[in-house]
Amino acid sequence: MDFLRPATLTDALAAKAEHPDAVPVAGGTDVLVELNFDRRRPPALLDLTGVAELAEWAPDGDVLRIGAGVPYSRIIGELGSRLPGLALASRTVGSPQIRNRGTVGGNLGSASPAGDAHPPLLASDAVVEVASIRGARQIPITEFFTGVKRNALAPDELITAFRVAPADGPQQFAKVGTRNAMVIAVCSFAIALHPSRCAVGTGVGSAAPTPRRAPAAEEFLAGELPWGSRRRLSDAVTRRFGELVASAAAPIDDVRGTADYRRHALSVMARRTLTWVWQEHCEGGWPACA
Amino acid sequence: MTVTEERPAAEVGHARRRKEDARLITGRTMWTDNITLPGMLHLAILRSPMAHARIATIDVGPARELPGVIAAFSGRDLAEDMASLPCAWPVTEDMVHPDHLPLAVDEVRHTGEAVAVVAARDRASALDGLEAIEVDYDELPVVLDMEAALADGADLVHADKGTNKSFTWVFDSAEAGSGGNVADALDGAEVKLSRRYVQQRLIPAYMEPRSVVVDPTGDVFTVWSATQIPHILRLMIAMTTGTPEHKVRVVAPDVGGGFGGKLQVTPEELIAFHVARRIGKPVKHTETRSESMQATHHGRDQIQFIDLTARRDGTVTGLNVRLLANMGAYLGLVTPGVPILGAFMYNAIYKIPAYRFECTGVFTNTAWTDAYRGAGRPEATYAIERIVDELAAELGLDPMEVRRKNWINHDEFPFTTVAGLTYDSGNYEAATDKATQLFGYDELRREQAARRESGDLVQLGIGISTYTEMCGLAPSRVLGALRYGAGGWESATVRVLPTGKVEVVTGTSPHGQGHETAWSQIVADQLGVPFEDVEVLHGDTRTSVRGLDTYGSRSLAVGGTALVKACQKVIKNAKRIAAHMLEASEDDLEFADGTWRVRGTPDAGKTIAECALAVFTSHDLPDGIEPNLDADATHDPENFSFPHGTHLCAAEVDTETGWVNIRKYAAVDDVGRVINPLIVEGQVHGGIAQGVAQALFEEAVYDESGNLMTGTFVDYTVPSAADLPAFDTDRTETPATGHPLGAKGVGEAGTIASTPAVVNAVVDALRPLGVNDVRMPCTPERVWQAIQEARR
Ligand SMILES: Cc1cc2nc3c(=O)[nH]c(=O)nc-3n(C[C@H](O)[C@H](O)[C@H](O)COP(=O)(O)OP(=O)(O)OC[C@H]3O[C@@H](n4cnc5c(N)ncnc54)[C@H](O)[C@@H]3O)c2cc1C
Repeated sequence: MDFLRPATLTDALAAKAEHPDAVPVAGGTDVLVELNFDRRRPPALLDLTGVAELAEWAPDGDVLRIGAGVPYSRIIGELGSRLPGLALASRTVGSPQIRNRGTVGGNLGSASPAGDAHPPLLASDAVVEVASIRGARQIPITEFFTGVKRNALAPDELITAFRVAPADGPQQFAKVGTRNAMVIAVCSFAIALHPSRCAVGTGVGSAAPTPRRAPAAEEFLAGELPWGSRRRLSDAVTRRFGELVASAAAPIDDVRGTADYRRHALSVMARRTLTWVWQEHCEGGWPACA
Repeated sequence: MTVTEERPAAEVGHARRRKEDARLITGRTMWTDNITLPGMLHLAILRSPMAHARIATIDVGPARELPGVIAAFSGRDLAEDMASLPCAWPVTEDMVHPDHLPLAVDEVRHTGEAVAVVAARDRASALDGLEAIEVDYDELPVVLDMEAALADGADLVHADKGTNKSFTWVFDSAEAGSGGNVADALDGAEVKLSRRYVQQRLIPAYMEPRSVVVDPTGDVFTVWSATQIPHILRLMIAMTTGTPEHKVRVVAPDVGGGFGGKLQVTPEELIAFHVARRIGKPVKHTETRSESMQATHHGRDQIQFIDLTARRDGTVTGLNVRLLANMGAYLGLVTPGVPILGAFMYNAIYKIPAYRFECTGVFTNTAWTDAYRGAGRPEATYAIERIVDELAAELGLDPMEVRRKNWINHDEFPFTTVAGLTYDSGNYEAATDKATQLFGYDELRREQAARRESGDLVQLGIGISTYTEMCGLAPSRVLGALRYGAGGWESATVRVLPTGKVEVVTGTSPHGQGHETAWSQIVADQLGVPFEDVEVLHGDTRTSVRGLDTYGSRSLAVGGTALVKACQKVIKNAKRIAAHMLEASEDDLEFADGTWRVRGTPDAGKTIAECALAVFTSHDLPDGIEPNLDADATHDPENFSFPHGTHLCAAEVDTETGWVNIRKYAAVDDVGRVINPLIVEGQVHGGIAQGVAQALFEEAVYDESGNLMTGTFVDYTVPSAADLPAFDTDRTETPATGHPLGAKGVGEAGTIASTPAVVNAVVDALRPLGVNDVRMPCTPERVWQAIQEARR
C-alpha cells in the first residue's frame, strides 16, 4: 500500500489525479476503522493532514468557507456562535478524541446516512466545494449525497471546503441513540429558522438511504409560523410538522432500531426542536422577515 | 472518600490506594501479549462464518506455501492430538455432553468457531495465511430459539445426540424437606402472578482480550495465559492432553479483567498448546476484540417463567420457577452449573414456604455461554425482585412494605431458607433504612406522585432491589452434592524472610481486584509488620502451587481465611522461639502489634522479625523445633457467605422517546467487615455499572442465520461514564460469622443488585400507562414499544 503525503492542495489534487483509487485520509476516524476491519484494501492512502489550506476557515462574502479538514473540536470552539446547529451536532460526535481528529470533510466523504454533520448542513443550505486538477465546482448539499455511503465526487476530486451562511435565526439538533456518548444515531434531526426570509430548513439523519431534507414539512411550517409575532405555536402546528418530517423519512429496520421507531422518534424530535427554536425566536434577537 | 497515606492504627479498614495500580494503570507490566520468546511464532485462527455447517473440505496447503508461514493445521490435522475441552459440572447423571474439540473437525456449530490455525514468523504473515485456506461448508439448519429447539422434530445442533436438551435439573422444597409443596400453594393461592422474563445474552468485555503463549522447549511446557484460573487450567491441560501434570506450568501474568469470561479452558489455549507441541516452538495467540466478541463464552441468556403466590395482605406463599438456559453450542467449564447456582437465590431474602425450581439446558447454534459476573445469581435476583414489585402493584401496596413483610428479620438469623441454605447473618432492616434515607425515598415518591398527577411527559420511577447473594464459593461438600468436579477450598502460604520481610503466596488469581493490597493489609495487621514489607505472589503454578483461583466473590471470603490461618500458624510457631529467647514460659507470653511479650513486663519482647532471624541462624533454638517460621494453610469453608443490601434507583423516563435517564442511584451494601473501603467502593461502582449495562444498554444479538450482529463496541453498547449517574454509596457492617475477619465478598454484589433496581424503576415510571414489563435492555425503542403495546 502506497502512502502519499502531499504538503499543498495543488500536490494533493495532482496526486489524486494520478492515483484515483488512493483513499484520502483526513482524521482517519472512518478510514482506519475500515482498514482495521479489512473492509477495504486500497492501493494507496492519500494523507491530507499535511495540507494546511484544508484546515483553515474564513468568511467569504456573506458566507463562511470552512476547510474540509477543520476538526469538530474547532467547529465547536471557533464557530459555535455562528453555526450553532452544526456545533450542537458536532458535540454529539464520538468522544473528545474523535472530535479532535474527525472532520466534517471526512463525514461528507463517508456520506453515511448517520453522519451527524449532515442534518445541520442540510438545514442551512450548505454548499460543498470540491476540486480536481480539472478545476473546482460547488455542489449544493442536497445534491451531494447520491446513495448509501455514496457521494457526488468524481474519482479525481477532493472535498476542499463547505460554504454555509452564519445562522440568521435559531438552530437546533437532536439525536436519539442507545447511549449518550460514542453512539451511532438511531435517527437525528436538525432545524434552522431563517426569519429574515421567512423560511425553514430541516435535515433528517439515519432515516433514509441518504441524509435528506423534509421539504413538505419546511413549506408547511414556513407558511404556518406567525413570523412577526411572539405567539406560542399551537399543538396542531407542531404535531403536523412532526408528522411531515416523519413522512419524509424512508427508514429501515436494523439492529439499532426499527423503521417504526425511527419515524416516531423523528416526529418527536421535530416537534421538540421546533418548540425550542420558536421559543428562542420569540425571545428576540433575530431579524424578522418583512 | 478521602484517601490517607499516613500509617493507620490498623491496616484493615484503611482506604489504601492499591499498590498494584501504578503498573496496571500505566500498562507497564507483563501482560501475556507483551511476552516475546526467542523463535516464537504467531498464531492466527480461522473461524467459521457459518452458524451450522459440515466442513466438506478444508485445505490448509496453500497457507503453508506462503512466506513466513511455518505451519498450518486444520481440525482434521490435529484430530488425533485433541480431546474435548472439559466441562467440570455435569449437573445431572444423564446430562447430554457433546464433545467440544478446540478446532472443529467435521462440523461447525456457531459462527466464530475455530476451524484452522496458522503459525508464522509474524502476525501479519499468519493473517495472510488464513486467507489462503480453502474451506467448503455444507450448510445445515440453524437452531437459535430455545423454545423452538425443544419442540418435537426440531432441527438439531448435535444430530448424534438426538435432542437439543442437555439436562433438566430440579429442586423441590417438598422433596428436599426444606419447605412445602408448590402445587398446593398454586392451588389455593389468593393471588397468583405469572411472568416470563428474558435475560438477554451478554458478552464479557474485559479490557484485555484473551492471549496465550505456550513454550514447549524447556523441561516442562510453560503456558502463559490471560486467565482467571491458572491452577484449574494446568490440571485441565494435563487431563486433556496427556501431558503429565508436573510437566505443565501455567502462569497468569497480570490479567486485564475477566468478569467470568476468563474462567474458562479455552479452545485458543489448547490450540496453542497442540501447535506448540507439534512443531516444538513457542507460539503466541492474542485475539482481536472482534474475535473475542464472537469466540469468548457469553453470559446470561435465559428465559425465566416464574409464578409467585401470596395472600391478599402481601404475604408470599409460594414460588415456582421454570428456566430455559441457553448453553450455546457446547458446554464450557461450568456452563450447566451457572443457572443451577441461581436455584438457591430465587427465594432471596424472603421467607417463602414452598419453592420449586426446574432448569432445562438447551443447545443452540450460538457461542457457548458460561460464567459472567454473578453467574446465576443476577438472573435469580432479577426475577424475584421484579415479581415482588409486580405483587406490590397487584395489591396496591408500597413495594418496600411487601418486602418488609416477607423478609427474614434480623432477629431470625441464622435462618435456613426454603432452598436449603443457612444464611448465617444479615440485617435487611438496617441496610434498607440507611438506603431509603440516603436516597430520599419519601421525597422522590412525592415527586413521582406530582408528575403522575400532572401527566408529565417525563415520568419518574423508583426501583428497589433488596438483594442477597451467596459468596465464598464454596464448601466442597456442597459442590460435591451438586456434582461439581472439584472442591472449593483455598490456600495461602506465609513466609517470614530472615530480614523480617514477608512473602505471601495465594492460590487466588487476581485480575484487577486488588488482592495484593488487601492481602498485604491483612498480613500487616496479623503479623504486626509494615504494609510495605509484604509481597503477595500469585498466578504462577510454580510459586503458587495450590489454589482454586478467582471467581464467585470467593477470594477474600475463602482465600482470605486461609491467609489468616497461615498467619496464625506463623504467630504460633514464633511463640516457642520468642519464649526461648525471652527465657520465659510460653504460658506467660502474649502477642500484640507483632511482638510476643511477657505479660506484665511490656519492655521485654521479641518481634516476629527477630524470631525469623533466630530461625534463620538457628544457633540457639529450643530443642526439637524445625528451623522455619513459614506456614501453609488451606481452608474449606463450612458455609457460603451472604452479602446483602438495598439498592434504590430513580429513573426519569421520557414517555415520548423512551429515553431513560437515571436520576439518582443509592446503594447500601453489607459485605461484612471491610478490609479496604476504597477497593470495596471500586467493586461496587464497577458492579453497578455492569448491572446497569444489562438493564439499559448491552445485548448480544444474532440474526436469523446465526451471525453476531453486535460484534463490535459500536453495536454492543457498553456504557461509559457519560451514561451513568453518580452513585451514592454507603454500607452497613454485619460481620460474616464464618470468616475470621467477618468479611463476605463484594465482587459481584453491584451487578446482582443493580439490574432489577433499574428495570423496576423504568417499569414503575410507566405503570400509570399500563406497562408492567420492559424487555432488557430498556433502550429508548424497547421502552417506547412497551408503551405502545400497553396502549393497544
Ligand atoms: C469511535 C468513533 C465514534 C464515532 N462517532 C461518530 C458520531 O457520533 N457521529 C458521526 O457522524 N460519526 C462518528 N464517527 C465516524 C467519524 O468519526 C466521522 O464520520 C468523521 O467525521 C470522519 O472524519 P475523518 O476526518 O476522521 O474522516 P476520514 O476517516 O479521514 O475519512 C472519511 C472518508 O472521507 C474521505 N475523505 C476525507 N477527507 C476527504 C477529502 N478532503 N476529500 C475527499 N474525501 C475525503 C475518506 O477517504 C473517507 O472515505 C465515529 C467514529 C469512531 C471511530
